[in-house]
Amino acid sequence: MHFVFCLVTVALALGAAAPAAAQQGVTDTEIVLGCSNSFSGPLAYTGEQATRFGVDLYFKALNDAGGVNGRKVRTVYYDDGYKPQEAVANTRKLVEQDKIFAVIAPQGTPPVMATLEYLEENRVPLLFPFQGSPVIRGKKYVFSGMTLYDRQSRMMIDYLVGPRKLKSFGVLYQDDDYGKAFLAAFEKDLARHALKLTATESVKRGVTDVSAQMAKLRAAAPQAVFLVLTPGPGAQALKERQKIGWNDVVMVSSGPLTDEKYLALAGDASEGVEGLSLWPDPVTSDLPGMKTYREAMQKHFGKNEPNRYSLSGYFAAMLFTEGARRAGKNLTRETLVSALEGINGFQSGILPPVSIGADHETQRQGFWVRVEQGRFKQLTDWLKSD
Amino acid sequence: MTVRRALLPGALLVLLAVWPWVAPRYFVFLASVVLVNAIVALGLNLLSGYTNQLSFGHAGFFAIGAYTAAVLTLRAPGVPVLVTLAVAGALTALVGLAFGVPCLRLGGLYLTMATLAFGFVIAEILLNLDTLTNGADGLRVPPARLGALAFATDTSRYYLTAAVATVLVAAAVNLVGTRTGRAFLAIRESEIAAQASGVPVAAYKTLAFGLSAFYTGVAGGLFAFVVGFLSPDAFDVFLSVDFVVMIIVGGLGSVPGSILGATIVTVLHDGLAAFQNYRPLIFGAILIACMLFMPGGVTAAWSRVARR
Amino acid sequence: MTTAALVHVVVSGLATGSIYALMALSLVIIYNATRTLNFAQGEMLMVSTFVAWAAQRALGLPLPVTLVVAVAAAGLMGWLVERVVIRRAIGATHWDVLIITLGLSLMLRAGAGIAWTHDEFPFPSFFGTRPLALGPVRLAPVSLGIIAASLGLMAMLYALFTWTRLGRAMRAVAQNQRAARLMGISVERVYSRAWMLAAMVGAVAGVLVAPVVFLSSKMGLIVINGFTAAVIGGFGSMPGAVAGGMLLGVVENLAPLYLPSGIRYSVPFLVLTAILLVRPAGLLGRVEQRKV
Repeated sequence: MHFVFCLVTVALALGAAAPAAAQQGVTDTEIVLGCSNSFSGPLAYTGEQATRFGVDLYFKALNDAGGVNGRKVRTVYYDDGYKPQEAVANTRKLVEQDKIFAVIAPQGTPPVMATLEYLEENRVPLLFPFQGSPVIRGKKYVFSGMTLYDRQSRMMIDYLVGPRKLKSFGVLYQDDDYGKAFLAAFEKDLARHALKLTATESVKRGVTDVSAQMAKLRAAAPQAVFLVLTPGPGAQALKERQKIGWNDVVMVSSGPLTDEKYLALAGDASEGVEGLSLWPDPVTSDLPGMKTYREAMQKHFGKNEPNRYSLSGYFAAMLFTEGARRAGKNLTRETLVSALEGINGFQSGILPPVSIGADHETQRQGFWVRVEQGRFKQLTDWLKSD
Repeated sequence: MTVRRALLPGALLVLLAVWPWVAPRYFVFLASVVLVNAIVALGLNLLSGYTNQLSFGHAGFFAIGAYTAAVLTLRAPGVPVLVTLAVAGALTALVGLAFGVPCLRLGGLYLTMATLAFGFVIAEILLNLDTLTNGADGLRVPPARLGALAFATDTSRYYLTAAVATVLVAAAVNLVGTRTGRAFLAIRESEIAAQASGVPVAAYKTLAFGLSAFYTGVAGGLFAFVVGFLSPDAFDVFLSVDFVVMIIVGGLGSVPGSILGATIVTVLHDGLAAFQNYRPLIFGAILIACMLFMPGGVTAAWSRVARR
Repeated sequence: MTTAALVHVVVSGLATGSIYALMALSLVIIYNATRTLNFAQGEMLMVSTFVAWAAQRALGLPLPVTLVVAVAAAGLMGWLVERVVIRRAIGATHWDVLIITLGLSLMLRAGAGIAWTHDEFPFPSFFGTRPLALGPVRLAPVSLGIIAASLGLMAMLYALFTWTRLGRAMRAVAQNQRAARLMGISVERVYSRAWMLAAMVGAVAGVLVAPVVFLSSKMGLIVINGFTAAVIGGFGSMPGAVAGGMLLGVVENLAPLYLPSGIRYSVPFLVLTAILLVRPAGLLGRVEQRKV
């Protein structure tokens, strides 16, 4: 009995102890943002980097400089371990208990999809989720956070079939929404060129060995193989290629895979590998925004290396700030949405000028890279995806 | 029942009934999740606590129930929710029975491993039955319906869950007094003695699988409505392990233990969410402390304290 | 599919299988001696490998020394866990100990993430990357190396269990704890040594497999395959663990070769189920005859 009383009291206390922020998460001095993300589970590293070392990195600098329109930004994060039901619970908690203004930079298609309807119903903006599935298109309060997979596919196929004149392609894809979305997009884009995929092989997340899949792909002898994986299996695929001596094929990494982690893991097996890069090189690029990013990282999180995951979170925070700035003193969810839609030619110093518009797509860019001496060398200018 | 003995369950029932009126919206949602987990814990206890068949695959039964309810509501929206849940439970029970039969030959760890394999295979099947389950993209679950009434709010879903849970808890409590319940208890105490006393152990062990699967399937259906979105990612081995933790922390082979274990684990997990990547560290430490200081689970510790 | 490619895939499967075998062995060692299932086995070897990696990076240690560090760290961890946590639960049922080891695995994985982040790291390998050519067949040195090292370790374990006092004591405790105690064997000491030995075997597996799957906080999850392998082979039987591991590794690799995406990942579990249907105690296990 006593136990039950305690339980009830604790529960009520938890409820009552929620921060007494304004109804919409905006006061004269503060904006509250948050998200449910992976701090444990398969995507824990990317989750932590995008939020604590990405979004928060930008907001630290912003708050130090006085905030946006006199308001500082505070963030709240909860761990969902990539489980959709946890994402639902966390997101509800954020909206109902922590009273956030908007969700920023959550990760993964299943967790994001699970919360989509709830957020739309409650008119909470879902800003820049770290996922590229096209299913988030066409929602009033949702703005994409990555060049969507179908755009990435179009750029990759158009580039390889066009200027590079390749005809046969294989795909090694992860057996989940990310891999399957790319697979479907590749098939569609190849069909536009009257081509078909030569061979497709799937890989489970957390796999230990890809030798069978690579052997089958090799037997089909495509000219290029798309790798739609995460850095671990991606690097394993490259090492396997090296082991079997399959040198006359071009390995092409998808946008999310094209990052320095993957190179570090693959070591010398990554030489000559190509891919679609969604961001400039986080370590060497001398674009003004990139320099600011690196300086901020050095200052606040000196031990943390600059990387694309934190960069994407940083960029998300930057975009939000631009939207909030344009919305002005009267910051509501509706004014934010309109302000973001009105962004035209925004110079971030990181990506080409951003123009958003009614389709709510914030990123449409990518450029081709090839690995030379352990780093990505830019081969083309920003590619078109329209 | 004396007034004193009825006091605690009575108070709990009152709390259950008025909860949406006293608790903030989020805690109504959380309470629904607790109730769903409690039903699973009850089901798992029937299998593992009573007939000693430890299952690390209950996420599989949970998933079958969830997807069945979701697909049924999508394809046949006119079906009343209680029928949907019953169908989900029944289908899962059939799978449980079918699975339980070959498991009779297996003992201890081998059985547990087989359940682990079961859980994996079910998740794989659901991932690949694209046309039915939407596979990796996940399935949005429409609100449950009862005629013209749609369970579209947290409160309505809470009451649905609470009602179903109450019925299932009552059934479980009554089970202990029936012949089946006594057979289960006998099997738990000593399988060999039970067999020697004429209890058809094989039949009851299989029945336990079926009942356990039924409970878990119904809970799965409720889960689908409460959360509103399903994807194969949600039903992995870690979920199965969570269920096992609930019944061991609560106390094996006890109905109050199942409910208590589910409540503690769910509330603790939720309450620690702000700790982000420290959460498993703290949760793990609490688990260790729990088992070191309360061997046999909370109910066992409680009875030791109560007896003093 | 050429024969050369097939051989390569099978050898690769044997290498993975050797790792599974080592993991299975470490699980079985603890189980035989203490009748406990150690849920934290994977996480313990992951942490030992991380410690070795950190030491190697900080002090620039050569690879053999790194292996020694991993094994030593594992031994220490095994001893510590058994003494501080497990022994305190001496009166508890095996369910309780299961939860304790589960809690430990959660703590270790979260702890590793806090100490080193959840990122993935390359780990130096004992074996080169240039393939060995045997006629038309190309074999990766890392696969051969893992197989050889695992076999070597298994041989050492065999020697330990057959010819040393500790080994005989462990076998005695596994057979009948009470009788062993009556014969003067310190069961507590056997418990402690079993935990240490299992952890150390795990650490070797960790150092061998880390270059292949990369070092990360989730590396410990491989132990689930080890568990599957141990059951396939007959839980409690050490030759069974080895056979189960190798079989599992090869089956896992052959499945994608011949089966479509929908079914290939279920194959190891379907194989397990099939084996258990025919032999309920695994390939080489014996059904426990419980007498009243």
